[in-house]
Amino acid sequence: MPLIIKDEYPEKLFREDGKRLDGRDKHELRPIKMEVGLLKNADGSAYLEWGNNKIFCAVYGPRDVHPHYLAKPDKGILRVFYRMATFSVFERKRPAPGRREKEISMILGDCLEPLLFLELYPGNSFEVFINVMDADGGTRCACATVAALALADAGVPMRSLVTAIAVGKIDGELVTDLSGIEDKAGEADLPCAITWFNEELSLLQFDGSMDLKEFDESITLAKNALIKIHEMQLNTLKNKYIAIQEEYSGGKNKK
Amino acid sequence: MENEEDKSIEETITDNDEAEETAEFNGEDISREVVVPGEVLTEDTKNFLPGRGTILNKERTKIISLNIGLKQINKNYINVLPLKGFYTPRAGDKIIALVTDKNPVKYRCDINAKDEGVLKPRNTVKRGKTRGFRGGGSESADLSTEKYQIGDILIVKVLSADRLNQPELTTVGQYLGKRRDGIVISIDPPKIPRVIGRNGSMIKMLKNLTKSNIFVTQNGRIWLKGENIAYERLLIDAIKKIEREAHTVGLTDRISEYIDNEKKIRGVN
Repeated sequence: MPLIIKDEYPEKLFREDGKRLDGRDKHELRPIKMEVGLLKNADGSAYLEWGNNKIFCAVYGPRDVHPHYLAKPDKGILRVFYRMATFSVFERKRPAPGRREKEISMILGDCLEPLLFLELYPGNSFEVFINVMDADGGTRCACATVAALALADAGVPMRSLVTAIAVGKIDGELVTDLSGIEDKAGEADLPCAITWFNEELSLLQFDGSMDLKEFDESITLAKNALIKIHEMQLNTLKNKYIAIQEEYSGGKNKK
Repeated sequence: MENEEDKSIEETITDNDEAEETAEFNGEDISREVVVPGEVLTEDTKNFLPGRGTILNKERTKIISLNIGLKQINKNYINVLPLKGFYTPRAGDKIIALVTDKNPVKYRCDINAKDEGVLKPRNTVKRGKTRGFRGGGSESADLSTEKYQIGDILIVKVLSADRLNQPELTTVGQYLGKRRDGIVISIDPPKIPRVIGRNGSMIKMLKNLTKSNIFVTQNGRIWLKGENIAYERLLIDAIKKIEREAHTVGLTDRISEYIDNEKKIRGVN
């Protein structure tokens, strides 16, 4: 007999004391931990823990394109491979890439492309491999954030970094950084990403219902949260090198 | 043959000294400030111009870094010297290549760049030997080119390189050709100038202290040969240490101290 577990969501997504189910305030982020340069054989790599999400990212390139017909004579291409591990979700995920994975790979590619100078690498490709080891809501936003870190770690010339977050509406109230259960049981979900060189939206998806005023408000909420995460990204990249400098300057590193 | 090779190494190192990167990376006015992509270097666009590794924003109000690297101000240019990156071949570079494929018309070489290098037989003509006495002789034309096998390590010069075509290589020229002994290690290409040091100071120090021959190339590969295996191991460890600490101050002194200490610990004389 197969074990069938129905998806059951709680009726209320706020606790009695006004906090969310995981104990956060409305606009509080989940704990975030970032690391760069941990995969030796990749040109650049990064690891991100965002709440319960655990994501590895590896970057290779510039290098030859295989299959060769995908290569473009006038510019390079950026290929993103988003994959979820079989054990990353509650029910076993089939390892073959499905409709959802292909979609997310595509939107992440479109999100990262404005950062790079692809016209300098005709006939070549940059490849970004993202593996989600553990998933709990907002993986596409976490993936865009970690992919930008890995590209910067690989030494690829970039205009700036990109940072992404999901905002949404649960039980009639706007909240920042949706977790898995809020994503499924909530009313609206709005993942968005910002490229920092022009501060424009590079990724915007929408699911659910929300009026225009709330939409404007959620973009502002997202931007406030993104500034904090961007700061973390910059510090992570710098600390890899500053830590070595401080070893030999007795902590007196000029900043 | 041995002596000839030794001399060639000496000569090529002097070549390396004149490379412009050497002077730039080791300039005294480098602040050891680490910058990351997208970071604003200055908003004073009247007095400063964007140099290497930087870009002006669309409104021309800020100079922005493109790489993760060290900020450097040279006269009125702001540069970013990358700490990580890949090798882009330029005409005239002397690099170490690995033969990966051969066919009747060309050899293909791995040169640690985005494209494979192409080595055509007409660029492998034997040096120092004529085809025959007074232009005649029975030797056929193909005897006058060097033959290489898959897996050979060559020191080559880049004849032409651009972003559209595969770089063309040559082994014709002084000090170029096949290496039959020694060890090749590779490090991050942007850190090569640090292994050479200012006016070749680092490389001279390494050679003197470890009694080894070193040949440093721009594509991140280093050929080395020591008196014995102990010296070679010590040298490899020292180069890896330089790679890790390339962005710190007082590196040459620290490395010389490190080698002296390690010699005592390892019992190498």
